[in-house]
Order: sequence, then structure tokens, then C-alpha cells
Amino acid sequence: MAKPRRFKDPAEIVELIQDKLPALYFVFGRAKTEEMAFEVGKEWDFLYPDEKERVRKMITDAEAEHPDMFVHRDRAMLKRLLMQGIGYHHAGLSPALKRIVERLYESRLIWVLFCTETFAAGVNFPASSAVFESCRKWDGREFRQLLNREFFQMAGRAGRRGFDEQGHVYIQISAEHPDETGFFKESEVEMVHGRLAVSANTVLSLLMWKSDQEIDHFLKSNFSAFQKRRRLKDINRKITKLHNKQQQLQEHFCEEQQSTSCPLIRKKLKRELHKLKSRKYRQMPGSQSRIAEIENTLSLLKKKKCKNVQCFDAAREIKEINNRLELLHYKKKQMEYDAKQYTIDFQKMRTLLQRLGYVKERELLPRGKFALHLHVQEIFVTELVFSGLIEDLPADEVAGILAGIDYVPGRREYIQIPPYDFDVVNKLRAELMEMGVPQDYMVWSPVPGYLAYAWYNGKEFDHLLDNCSLQEGDVVSVIRREIDLLRQMEKAAVDNPVLLEKLRGIRRTLDRDQVAVLF
Amino acid sequence: MPRWENDNTEEIKKGKNLKSKIRIKSFYKKTPLRKETQPVAPAGPFQLDDFQAEAIEAVLAGRNVLVAAPTGTGKTLIAEKLAEKLMDEGMGLIYTSPLKALSNQKYADFREMFGDERVGLVTGDVTINGDAMLTVMTTEIFRNKCFEDVEQLANIAYVVFDEIHYLDDPHRGTSWEEAILFAPPHMKILGLSATVPNVKEMATWIAEVRNAEVLVVEERKRAVPLEINWVTPDNEIINEHEAKRQVKKLSDKRKEEQEEYKARKRNKFYN
Repeated sequence: MAKPRRFKDPAEIVELIQDKLPALYFVFGRAKTEEMAFEVGKEWDFLYPDEKERVRKMITDAEAEHPDMFVHRDRAMLKRLLMQGIGYHHAGLSPALKRIVERLYESRLIWVLFCTETFAAGVNFPASSAVFESCRKWDGREFRQLLNREFFQMAGRAGRRGFDEQGHVYIQISAEHPDETGFFKESEVEMVHGRLAVSANTVLSLLMWKSDQEIDHFLKSNFSAFQKRRRLKDINRKITKLHNKQQQLQEHFCEEQQSTSCPLIRKKLKRELHKLKSRKYRQMPGSQSRIAEIENTLSLLKKKKCKNVQCFDAAREIKEINNRLELLHYKKKQMEYDAKQYTIDFQKMRTLLQRLGYVKERELLPRGKFALHLHVQEIFVTELVFSGLIEDLPADEVAGILAGIDYVPGRREYIQIPPYDFDVVNKLRAELMEMGVPQDYMVWSPVPGYLAYAWYNGKEFDHLLDNCSLQEGDVVSVIRREIDLLRQMEKAAVDNPVLLEKLRGIRRTLDRDQVAVLF
Repeated sequence: MPRWENDNTEEIKKGKNLKSKIRIKSFYKKTPLRKETQPVAPAGPFQLDDFQAEAIEAVLAGRNVLVAAPTGTGKTLIAEKLAEKLMDEGMGLIYTSPLKALSNQKYADFREMFGDERVGLVTGDVTINGDAMLTVMTTEIFRNKCFEDVEQLANIAYVVFDEIHYLDDPHRGTSWEEAILFAPPHMKILGLSATVPNVKEMATWIAEVRNAEVLVVEERKRAVPLEINWVTPDNEIINEHEAKRQVKKLSDKRKEEQEEYKARKRNKFYN
């Protein structure tokens, strides 16, 4: 028996839609894009000889600039696939590879492109059709179905203006997981919500540049607060409406409503009487006197002969309204509490910063002034600098340590262990934790350290790839993220020429060859 | 040009002693049905869509505009027309995008359009011609400028927020909000969004916090309509109604199979 494959043979789907190419084949998983492209490549060839010649020329030109672009991993396969008009595209590819795939696609030399969601977030890459291998993606925390908004962002790539009368979208139904088939509606695209988060930088920036009044404006007028205010208004409106209705309903009652001659009250009393006479309540203290009391009242007043019994319906309706009002009041309370959330977050962060010596009242202390220029893990990076580690340690080790800022290693990720001692960093984190800095504010991992360390020491890109399980694109992204951080730190370190020089030196050494930005 | 029809699967399927469907890989690969000539995009002057015309007129008149239209309907064109006009007048424009990759590509596009000198790029890890009249940057960078380098923004008449619906992104949304709240008051906003149900609410919010009017231009129609179909495990193309039926059938079957499997295991255990 054939080895079970993780996906249905895409070559058959291509057969089905061969008159509707080029197609973007959306797949959630990098490895899958490669495997599927390989499968199609076994059976299909989309290019005429003259087109193959054009592809060959474009590839040769690109290789002249980046000689090793097809050397790593299994990328030689990609080159062969491109010659057949088939490609794949995902974040693990080196920037040079991504670029050539995009160029070939734009030149209409790729007929089926297997790609991840990022391709749809890019600029205009329209196709004749879009195929969804599945509608389930990993969003960093869990597997979930695509949102309508995400689906249409991708599906909307189908249909080239001026070329196609219609964009064709195909969603594959899996026999193993039929429940995961997506059904999407453009009319049900999700609303946009405010997602503001108060970071250390937010608090420092506000204290540094904005007046109390502006800070207040910020905390109360952000989109999320605005939306909550609107919902609150809606709720208040509903509450008033229900109240008014209740008032109106009261009109159905006559002046005898409160007296026992009203059938409603009589009914209620009779019910109570019945209950008290039951075996369970008969013996309870006070029961007998209450029974007597009720019997007395009932006999005292005659039951009114009601001609108009609307009050019965009204009473029922009022009860219902009361229930709804209760729910609305609960929602209102919740919403009022939520609306204050940003002010609370702001205060919390401000208190922490005050305790750590970043700010004093509205004044920014040296630590605060440094952190003001940082936008990732502000507190932890500042502490690394102010503990003297960055200045004391050799530059290559600093490069290694900074690569781990804000890095969360993947599950099966492997990178060579760095040949330096990073216990000092762990010790610093432990100290900070004791001082009450939450884990989220000092995300750091030693894992990517070796990459930046070796790259700083002039090792070849191949050497990095040989010493880790990451793909080219990921290695580039680790180093570029560090370059971004170094730039921020340089801005923060203007008053410290020694530190500034050191940081700049590291950045310039890192920013070279395969890792440098392309245009 | 020779084309080979080489799929001999059918013949194999008919073969008596071959039970399974085996596909023999032939030397020649399959080629798709292809029209002899590719359709060519209509030449001549490009007809503007109504929503584009409306939005362009509004930004050229110096108004705050929020455009919501499906992907691929040509929202960028509005920003391009605005850029042309502002650069002619000697005013600057900042174009922000949610992703670094997107910034790079926009930079390349604009450079082609307006020339190397007049276009710049600033992202976290690269700065090219940062003082140019038209600068492409990530939203984070623009947000930082709104706090730190406000004087630098004195000559900038407009900021374009591409894909402004990313405001909803839990990681990146904060920069959008802070940028909208704190962009200097003289700057006008052109927001480009995918179609979302509460564009008007977004506009009302922007108008409120910036204390200025915001025009909403909405286009719900796609430039090219979409037809969504489903593909069954047997490679049949079916419509939504049939797909729902098919999915139900398959999942029932799947449940049955699982029950059966469990029962079998139980039997095995007891016998």
C-alpha cells in the first residue's frame, strides 16, 4: 500500500482547473508548500521552450548577484520546478529567493504557486484562481478556522482585472476532516476592534511628550474605549426604552391594582395560601397565623369583576422586561469597568517604572530616557545596558545575547549552543523577577545566540545553516531583527560614546552579504 | 509546437489484472490546456471607478478620507494621485504600511514612479533617503515620529495608512491607534481599508479624536466577481449547497467509522 500522504494529490486539482491558471494555491505550512509543489512537478510542465529560456535567463541573472541562492536545503528542486512554471513561496525562503519567485510570478512565468498567507498580505499578485488546501491555520496559539476577513483577503487575489471575467476560488473538502471545510460570507466579515496595549514605551513616551490632559485623552479616546462608550450608549438607550415601556404598561392597571380586590393580587395570595397549607409548610412556625391573615383579607374585600384583563398581559410583560433590564445593567457595569482598563494598565506600568527607577513623578530618569527609544522588551534591554553587561562583555557575545531578545524558539528548533557563558543574563532575569518585573517584560532566549555570534565573527552564511535547523529566511530574520534593535539602542545611547561605538560596530558587522536588504 | 497527450491512466484502469488505479509516470509531463494567445489587458486610458474618482477628488481637495474596498480594486491609485499633486506643490507625503515586506515593495513601486531622489524608505532596520518628499515607512516608525520628531513632519501634508483595518491586529494595532491619536493636527489622513462592516465607526472615531471631518468612500463590489466552489475528495467541483450536503455526509460517515473502530477495539479486548 502506498504511504499515506498528508494531503490530496494537488496534481489532480491542477488537472481540474487547468483552464483557469495561473493559480495561487494557499497552504498553511511551509513544508507543505514545498511537498505539494514537488508533487505537481512530477506530472506537470507549464512552460513552452521559449518561456523556459526566459526563466533560465532571469534565474541566471539573479544567481550572478546571489550565487548561493539555490544551494541551501532542497532549493535546487525549486529551481527545477521554476523551469516548469511551478513555484513555492513562504517566509523560510531567503529574501533573494522570494524576490525571484515574485518576479517570475509577475512575469507570468509561474502557473501554479504554492504559498502561505503572507503572499496575500503582499502587494498586488492577482491570479485567475485561488485554491485552498485547507481552511485551518495555526495562529501562534491554536489551530482555528480562517476568519471571513482572512479568507477574503486571500480569495480576493483570484480574478485579474481586465483578464478574467470571474475569479475562481476552490476550497478542498478533506475526507479525513470534513468538518474543517470552510464556508465564508463576505457579508459576515468581522468588525474591526480597538486593540491598544499599554507598553513601557507607551507610558514613557506619554510622560515625556504629552501633557496630563493629552494622556487622559489617549486613555479615554482610543478606539477600544470609543467603541465601548458607543456600546454603553446603546445599552443606556435600550434601558431607557425599556423603562418607558414599563411606564406605559403601568397604564393598563386600574387604581385597585394594589388592593386585594385585584384578581392579580388575589391570585398571588391564593397561591401563597395553597403553598402554606401543603404538608411541608403546615407545621412551620407562623404558618397558621399567616393563613388566617390571608383568609381574612380575602374575605374582607370582594373580588373585582374585571372587564378589561389587559393587566394580566401587562404584568407578564413587565416581568420579562425586568429580566432584560437586569441583564443590561449587568452588561453596563462590565462595560464601565472595561472602559477603565486602560487607565488601570497605565497606572500599573507607571508604578512599576517608578519602582524600578525609570521615572520620578513626571520626570524621566536615565533609565527611562534610555528605554524611551526602545520598542521591544524595553525594560529588559535597558537593564542589560545599565547592569553593564553590554559594555563589559566582548562584542561577539553581546551580538549573541541581543539576538535572543523577544525570541521564542519553535518546538523542534535546533541551533548550535553558543560557546560563551550566558548565565549572567539568566542571573539578571532572576534578579528582575524578584523585583517584580513580569515575565512578559523580559522575553529572552539563548537559542538564536549562536547565529549572531558566528555571523559577527565572520562565518559564512552556509556555516550558520549547517549549524541550525532554521531555514534561510528565518536566519535572515533573526539577524535583521537584531539590527533593528541595535538601531534603537544606538539612538538611546547617544550620550554614551563608548557604548554607541560598540553597538554601531556590531550592527555594521552584522549587516552584510546575504543578510543585507535587497532592492 | 508539439504537445503530447500522454495520460494513459484510462487504459490502465481498464486492465483486468490491475485492481488499483496506478498512474504510470510517463517520460513526458502533462501540459495544461492553454489558449494560443494570452488575453491582453485592455489598452487605452484607464477608466476610473466611481469610488476611485470620488476618493481622488476628495483628497485632492484636502479632505480626510477613509476608503474601504475589496482587495485588488485599485486603492493604491488614490494614494498615487495624491502623491503626484502634493509633490508638485512641494508638500510631503508619508505612506505607512503594516508589514516591512510591504513597505519595501511600495518603496520600489514609488521609486519607479517618481524617481530615486524623491522617494525614501524608513523601516526599523533600514533608512534610505529618509528626508525625501514621499517616504514609505512602517506604521511603528511613523508613530515614533509623531512623538519624537514632530518638527520633521511640518511639511508633510498627508499620511496614508495602508490596510488600516490592521488596527485590529493584537500585536501591531497599538501603533495605528497611537499614530492616529498623535499625528500632528495639520496632517490629513487617507486610510485604505479592506471592506469591514464598521468602516463608518472607524471614521467617526478618527473624526472625533482628530476633531476633523472624515469622508467615507465605500465600494462593496469587486472589480472581478468571485465564484467560490468546493472540490470533493473525488475531485468534483460542486457549489455551496452541494458542498454542505457532502460535508455532512462525509462527517457522518467519519463518525460511523470511528464508532466502528472503537467497537472493534472493544471486541478485541473482550474476546
